[in-house]
Amino acid sequence: MTKQVIELSEKSAKLSPVFRRNQAPRYSAAALLWRGVRNDSWPRVWREPQLKKSYDAVVVGGGVHGLATAYYLAANHGITDVAVLDKAYLGSGGSGRNTAIVRSNYLTPEGVAFYDRSLDLYNTMSADLNLNVMFSERGHLTLAHTDSAVRTMRWRAEVNKLQGIDSTVIGPDEISKIAPSLDTSPNTRYPILAALYHPPGGTIRHDAVVWAYARAADAYGVDMHQKTEVQDIVCEGGDGPDGKGPGAKVTGVRTSKGDVSAPVVINCTAGWASLIAAMAGIQLPITTHPLQAAVTEPVKVFLPTVVVSGSLHVYVSQTDRGELVFGASVDPFATYDMRGTLDFTEELAGHVLELMPAVSQMRLQRQWAGLCDITPDYSPVMGFTPVEGFLCDVGWGTYGFKAGPVSGEQMAKCVADGATPDLISPFALSRFNDGVLVGEKGAAAVGH
Amino acid sequence: MIRRLEPQSGEVIDRETPLKFTWNSKKYVGYAGDTIASALLANNQQVFSRSMKYHRPRGVLTADYWDPNTTVQVGTEPNVRGAHRLLEADMKVSAQNAWPSLDLDVKAANGLFGRFLTAGFYYKTFIKPQRLWPLYEKVLARFAPGGVVDLNTPHGYHDKRYAHPDVVVAGGGPAGLAAAISAAKAGMSVMLVEQNHHLGGHLRWGTDQDRETADDLEAAARDAGVEILTDSAVTGRYDDNWIAISQRDHPGVVERLIKARAKTLVVAAGLVERPYVFSGNDLPGVMLSGAVRRLINMYAVRPGNHAVVLTANAEGDAAVADLERVGVEVARVVDARAGETISKATGSSKQLGSVTLADGSTVKADLLVTAAGWTAPTSLLNMSGDRPSYDPAAARFFPTALPDNVIATGGLVGDGSLDELIAHGISSGELAAQRAAAVKHRLRSTVTRAQNPKGPEPPVQQDRRIGLSRAPHPELYRSDTHGMVDFSEDVSSKDLVNAAAEGFDSVELVKRFTTATMGPSQGKLETVNTVAVLAEARGETIEEVGTTVWRPPYAPISLGALAGRVFEPVRVSSLHEWHTANNMTPILAGQWIRPEHYGDPGAEVANVRTNVGIIDVTPLGKLDLRGPDVPKLLNLLYTNKWSKLPIGRVRYGMMCAEDGVVLDDGVTGRLGEDHYLMTTTSSGAGQIWQWVEMWLQTEHPDWEVHVTPVTTGFTSINIAGPKSRELLMRLVDDVDLSAEAFEYMNVRTGTIAGVPDCFMWRIGFTGELSFEVHVPAGFGLHVWEQLIERGADLGVGPFGLEAQRIMRLEKGHFIVGQDTDGLTKAPTTGLRALIKLDKDDFAGKPELEWALGPEAPELPVLVAITPTDPRLVPDEACQILREGTTEIVGRITSSRFSPSLQRSICLGQVTPEFAAAGTMLTVRLCDGSDTTARVMEHHAHFDPEGVRLRG
Repeated sequence: MTKQVIELSEKSAKLSPVFRRNQAPRYSAAALLWRGVRNDSWPRVWREPQLKKSYDAVVVGGGVHGLATAYYLAANHGITDVAVLDKAYLGSGGSGRNTAIVRSNYLTPEGVAFYDRSLDLYNTMSADLNLNVMFSERGHLTLAHTDSAVRTMRWRAEVNKLQGIDSTVIGPDEISKIAPSLDTSPNTRYPILAALYHPPGGTIRHDAVVWAYARAADAYGVDMHQKTEVQDIVCEGGDGPDGKGPGAKVTGVRTSKGDVSAPVVINCTAGWASLIAAMAGIQLPITTHPLQAAVTEPVKVFLPTVVVSGSLHVYVSQTDRGELVFGASVDPFATYDMRGTLDFTEELAGHVLELMPAVSQMRLQRQWAGLCDITPDYSPVMGFTPVEGFLCDVGWGTYGFKAGPVSGEQMAKCVADGATPDLISPFALSRFNDGVLVGEKGAAAVGH
Repeated sequence: MIRRLEPQSGEVIDRETPLKFTWNSKKYVGYAGDTIASALLANNQQVFSRSMKYHRPRGVLTADYWDPNTTVQVGTEPNVRGAHRLLEADMKVSAQNAWPSLDLDVKAANGLFGRFLTAGFYYKTFIKPQRLWPLYEKVLARFAPGGVVDLNTPHGYHDKRYAHPDVVVAGGGPAGLAAAISAAKAGMSVMLVEQNHHLGGHLRWGTDQDRETADDLEAAARDAGVEILTDSAVTGRYDDNWIAISQRDHPGVVERLIKARAKTLVVAAGLVERPYVFSGNDLPGVMLSGAVRRLINMYAVRPGNHAVVLTANAEGDAAVADLERVGVEVARVVDARAGETISKATGSSKQLGSVTLADGSTVKADLLVTAAGWTAPTSLLNMSGDRPSYDPAAARFFPTALPDNVIATGGLVGDGSLDELIAHGISSGELAAQRAAAVKHRLRSTVTRAQNPKGPEPPVQQDRRIGLSRAPHPELYRSDTHGMVDFSEDVSSKDLVNAAAEGFDSVELVKRFTTATMGPSQGKLETVNTVAVLAEARGETIEEVGTTVWRPPYAPISLGALAGRVFEPVRVSSLHEWHTANNMTPILAGQWIRPEHYGDPGAEVANVRTNVGIIDVTPLGKLDLRGPDVPKLLNLLYTNKWSKLPIGRVRYGMMCAEDGVVLDDGVTGRLGEDHYLMTTTSSGAGQIWQWVEMWLQTEHPDWEVHVTPVTTGFTSINIAGPKSRELLMRLVDDVDLSAEAFEYMNVRTGTIAGVPDCFMWRIGFTGELSFEVHVPAGFGLHVWEQLIERGADLGVGPFGLEAQRIMRLEKGHFIVGQDTDGLTKAPTTGLRALIKLDKDDFAGKPELEWALGPEAPELPVLVAITPTDPRLVPDEACQILREGTTEIVGRITSSRFSPSLQRSICLGQVTPEFAAAGTMLTVRLCDGSDTTARVMEHHAHFDPEGVRLRG
């Protein structure tokens, strides 16, 4: 199960990346100026191709994970005969609903190494993919209101330091200097005792990341198919019904726009991951919970950093447009419904005002929800499954966006090499049989 | 107030009450009843803001709540809707998005570069050199729109209210009023919520007869007992008609959240007038017909002097009549119904100058009024699950399928004469009442002990209302030029067309790329124009393009109102005041405030080890369990066996979740035949109660077990130390406390200091002879004070959490959640003997069977650790490394300096390779240096045999 080889078709091999790459017009200030002067419009960011009968690889899910996987398959491994299928529009799931925070100050060495690679890729993404994803390295504060939280922060800081990550525990005075709007007085209901400060953390324009990968993948010849819903996964030779299940080999997918044959199908569908896996006869140890978020009306920028409080179940950052973006912990019930609740906004507002009383006159403008695919140990499920050719990059819970680039890079490597890369081997589905979990609950549960 | 008109009937201003206020520090006067915008316009102030991106000057557009151009700062309050907020005396109003001033805004230079600053331009530039992006970002952030948050703004007090009206009516126009009246007359309690300051909707800026009708309806509504809220909004409709209302007309409260569980919701939100898209449509002086009519008829303000009116409907025609009546010269009426249109508007930087018609001719004007049609604010209907559909003949969206408990009326569903609208409102109110009655019937029948209603539940009333017709309306979205679509986001139709051409061609993608509809009005003005422009660009119909999803809130609501009062109670024991009076240093432990120490924790430890100490352990979770099946429950939840626990004995147990991970631990005692008292950790008290109830209610509802949480019903005191027995004996007469009669791990019920029904059990977390007593809470202080008083000669003293933590660490007792973590399975805690795999199923058994079997992985083990340097206490959470590497092989989970042993002591988790007694460990300290430590044989550093405990 750890080694599978895919046969590349002629189609992938003969399309030179360089050739395709040159078709895409470069973005730059000069080009912007030139087109402005000539009143030229820009060509399409990606094509609207016809769905072909077969591909070398089909990626299910057009979010940052799926698109990054497709991009790295093409860019790093020359596998360009790839289709990305999404039932709605690109970035319509978690990629467009998250609160766009990136960081690498996780709790386990495995987690730290993995997310740090992701942060590296985010750092150079604008230049690498030639689209400004507006990575804002504004620093990340995780507040501790109790002794035990201080201990957990120190634990994370110590693990982080050993991995070379800039991450320290700081006290109220220093916190106050970094974010003067926080109430660091000792007389609050949840006094701020300390914080884990992670300067390399920050925010990014989440939609731009989706578009950057889609545009770059398209330039290599990857086909993006929006409004194309996968209805079934076709397998043969398995133990279960219709030849599915462990021991099976995947042969293609059935979509709302027709059948596609493919030796490799990669499941990057986050909240819907267990439904897609079930189509291949695989049961994933995942439950889907909604995660709610909300945004205020804009005000002039006053909060220079990302602030997270695990005890108060809230994280907040201010966009360059001036809105405060809030998120919380997942709702306690499992559902695929994405409607918001009133209780969420009430609790959220109460906790935000506990941290920053001064924003009481700001107004909430919009609330929404996304879906989180949560595993028992709050770490993802990546790589091969007992169905040959069916790979998963799922179980991303509340932390999937941060991991998009490295997941795509490693999943592509996994497909191309036919072997699980070291960086993601701790996250294999088989760990739930082997009993070696990667416990990130302490850093991931509300750890944005 | 040079633009103020002569007094007229229907005006809402009070000319007897002038109000002074400042605008950008200059003094002005308006009247009570004025909005900020009407007062400023009366004073001939035309420019209220600068636009977000190009910093174009902006004036009044809609003159109502949704006006995107009149958002201002009032004192410390940002983003006040200037065309809605009523003027108050001495208000300090200022413009928000201008630097250095509204008149001279240097960022307006952006406008010159507009063709380069197309939507999403920032995605295409600032890419290289990358190191400069943070600088660019700072500059971009300066363009953030909106007001300023004063960091000294107080939290404020905001009450909340729960309401249980039968019917909530959202919207107090004629249809909404009529619905409220008829529902109330049918016997329902009705709450009517109107966003404006006046009831009657469009009747308020209509004819005298219109106003008379509005007054009559309002009076009838009050007579019928309708609860009327103005300046308030239904901000959200959630599952089961859970209605959120932002109320701003409650005396003494700025804004309060009303949470109403309505049996039916009537949505009568009316219609929002839609701007027309053409070049120059955002110049000050371009207004919608509704704005002109409000300004003239309600606020007596002359909106301009020379007007051109584009009209596609009766509202536009009425605006022409209003203008002419008050002496504004109407230079040209452009009738869209006859196929006429305008092409563009031009002017100076701050004022409209002329209007170019479709035929190319130009008309001089300082006022351009457009009446281009309506947008149905279907937000509340979307929240009810509806997906409205577009009708090209009427040029707007209409609801399709609503749940039974949501009813729409008025302009949302159709057009008609005033009588027809009122008739529809009346029948909607009757329908709402009938459906509410059915719900009421059902609720009363299903609630136990309520008075059961007579007869069967009435069926859900079918909708037999006579529908409103749909008036034909020309589809009027964009002229032959490009103009603003989203005023608050500065997104033009050209931006949308370009975005579509680039491939951002679905409504969601175009929204995300251009930010159209993402501003403060959340699409009420912009969505349909966005969709129309996109449809045009794609060659599709508006229906095919569809709209984005409307989400709560319908109108923005302040964080203060949502938060309400701070309601995060802390818990204290009945001894709290004593602790406070006796030099307690408090610590916040979960919900509890507890004494960390009373000055010197080291001395407290010494006193317990030599004399006797008492500690308040009230937060300890306590569950009273009764019933014949309690042993089954205990066997299910704990890993060890409970069937044979005799009366009068207590036992320690460990609980696991299904995954074998340690969940909680504590002692449970058997007090009587079918009566047990379970204790849990202090932090786990709530969670374990839920856990117990979850198993009982979902898996074993047949078991006869009754669970009562009694944590605060008792004051719990631990009396610890060699002299604890002697002390307790002085207070207890009816229980033999001798070592022979009351052995370790036993429980007795008796009288302490005259207080009967106290539980005493002999256990000890501290490692000393100790008695934990649970006293009915009302007598807790009495018993505590008696212990202090009667034990003075024994040296009794209180000790706090810190001393207890030191002593438990000396004894090697782990704390769940500190020494264990989310992956710590029961066998690795050193309590292997407590896991009884030979008993029937228990929570976590399958996982533990596997974890103890041959295929088990090597998981970290809990061990006691002694640093080589006895004075050095490594911080908790320091990592343990493989020597000479940075490979993590464990961590320190607890550490203290032991006053009893005069050396540092730790607990920690290490991988099995390093777990053997005597193994030397490398510990990385927080300052980056390394030290060594040794793994101990026992978890207990102090008295490993437990001699003192059993004494």
